[in-house]
Amino acid sequence: MTPQGIGLVARQEIRTRLRTGRWKALLVVWAVLVNGLAMMFRLALEMDDQSDFGHSGVPMFGGVLLAVLILTLLVTPALGAQAINGERERGTLAALQLTRLQPGDIVLGKLLAGWGTGLIVLLLTLPSLLLPVAEGAIGIGRAIVVLLVTGLLIGVSCALALGWSALLARSITAVLMSYLTVFGLLVGTPLLFTIALPFTAAPTGSGYDRDHPERVWWMLAPNPVVVLADAAPRLTRRTVQTPHGTFTESPPNDPLGGISREVRDIREGDKGYIDRNDRDEDAGPVWPYGLAFDLALAGGALWLSARRLRTPMYHVPRGVRVA
Amino acid sequence: MDGLGVEAHGVARRFGMVQALGGLDLTVPYGQVTALVGPNGAGKTTLLLILATLLGPDHGVVRIAGHDVRTHPRLARDAVGYMPDTLGVYDQLTVDEYLAFFAEAHGLPKDERPRRIRALLSLVHLDEQLGQPVHALSRGQKQRLGVARALVHRPRVLLLDEPASGLDPRSRVELRDLLRSLAAEGVAVLVSSHILSELEEIADRVVLVDRGRTVGEHAMADLAAATRSRWRVRSLDPGRLMAALAGRADVQPLPGAAEVGPLTEAEAAALLAELVAAGVPVTGLAPASGALESVYLAMTDDRR
Ligand SMILES: Nc1ncnc2c1ncn2[C@@H]1O[C@H](COP(=O)(O)OP(=O)(O)O)[C@@H](O)[C@H]1O
Ligand SMILES: [Mg+2]
Repeated sequence: MTPQGIGLVARQEIRTRLRTGRWKALLVVWAVLVNGLAMMFRLALEMDDQSDFGHSGVPMFGGVLLAVLILTLLVTPALGAQAINGERERGTLAALQLTRLQPGDIVLGKLLAGWGTGLIVLLLTLPSLLLPVAEGAIGIGRAIVVLLVTGLLIGVSCALALGWSALLARSITAVLMSYLTVFGLLVGTPLLFTIALPFTAAPTGSGYDRDHPERVWWMLAPNPVVVLADAAPRLTRRTVQTPHGTFTESPPNDPLGGISREVRDIREGDKGYIDRNDRDEDAGPVWPYGLAFDLALAGGALWLSARRLRTPMYHVPRGVRVA
Repeated sequence: MDGLGVEAHGVARRFGMVQALGGLDLTVPYGQVTALVGPNGAGKTTLLLILATLLGPDHGVVRIAGHDVRTHPRLARDAVGYMPDTLGVYDQLTVDEYLAFFAEAHGLPKDERPRRIRALLSLVHLDEQLGQPVHALSRGQKQRLGVARALVHRPRVLLLDEPASGLDPRSRVELRDLLRSLAAEGVAVLVSSHILSELEEIADRVVLVDRGRTVGEHAMADLAAATRSRWRVRSLDPGRLMAALAGRADVQPLPGAAEVGPLTEAEAAALLAELVAAGVPVTGLAPASGALESVYLAMTDDRR
């Protein structure tokens, strides 16, 4: 495995792909659509804004980011799910395997090509993501962290699609499975959590059952939305004076912070009445577990893909043509 | 030129319930074109995949240019050029981009690549197609581009799986000349095919396979002398010809001619002398089918 080999495969992949479809047109449409919708969202927010705390750039940033994450995760299967079985179907894979390129070169080169395309897709949404930063509503640090995490999650989705394309002989099945995987991570994890929650019920001393979400919080962790929201650094809080004392309060209209507080509460479990401020400070982060799980899944998919490309092939799976 | 480009002993390979190869032996010497001949499903493609280091054998020993494919697959791979039966190409690339990609993938030094690509294109007569997209090539041209690709890294062993199928006569002649010139340069060439008449002109040796086993290995020159085939006698006077042949049981009359046999070359020569002595005006005596075809038909006879 060499950087030259990986680079060669990546360049080849991008070159053949650029010449097949109307990529430039598609990317322009994407940029116009996403940024246009983001600006309309922003205008709508300003119409609605009555709060004295929190800039309308805050919900804009969070909302656009989550929408972009979900949309790019839905686009990436199309980038990677035909990378390997497509070459097999066309009969070009054997020629690659006969060169000095190693399975790792081929897999990482194809990952790089797909991931790079995904990152360009992300890059095109930057205008509407950076506007709140320019306005000072969102700190530079938060923007960098969330962009990095989004980039990583796009890479994970590319790796999973690549894995399916190596594992399944037909590219149409691989595309389908890639979508199902992304769907499973996005929708399946909260569904699983919701189903599992009643099973955690245990009797309390006072005679009725109580759920124990702290036993199943990890089911939510791999969710890309959860990972992204929880990894985003918290916004600065403000201090409020009330007749009952002094509290600190987060901006109420921050979707990322809201999701993050929610999952950390779930991890903490239902401890009865706890002072809201304490709870906010003490709950441990969820995102490192989720991100680690997602990255391990991606790593496994890549390892499996490389294994499938090893030659000579001693075991030929059914329906796979060697050359 | 001596030594063996390919040595295979007892190669076996099974796909599920199908025993594709059942202990096949094969040698391919340098400087010669060896033909691999056998009916559909005989295991030719499977064997070539194993020789090309793409597929692993269940049993047996395979050495390519002296390197065991089991223990040194990468050394073996560097020595072998392979053209599959269904040639996949990246349609989006031009002819020279296509070869440049494989030159780089094979690790050719950067300054050597343009020269190598031009040399290859002129070798396979595609100079004029330089810069043309691959999808604009004719089938014969694509086939030759495939040969050029297989030769990019100067392999000492060249394997081609049914390269002549689907080619027009002109392209076939060009392919034949190309393979002959490669053999003359010392490359060990192995061609699988069932276009027998072509192979007779291309190949120096023929290896016959059936149901995953080697059933015969002949030098082309010996084959003609050793095999019995049917012979066609033409005469100005068919009536006298038939009268002279009346005593034989193996005669089939044809318009203006008769088919006799199977005979060896020596027997055919004797028959000619006999006919001439009997005063039959013979205008031609030639094998009705190629020697290779006769061997092939004899080999596959028992399955009918
Ligand atoms: N990938 C595969 N899976 C299952 N059976 C196969 C596979 N490849 C070849 N075979 C079987 O092995 C036998 C030999 O096939 P092949 O080598 O393609 O023969 P040939 O090239 O001489 O026509 C055939 O019976 C074929 O069906
Ligand atoms: Mg075949």
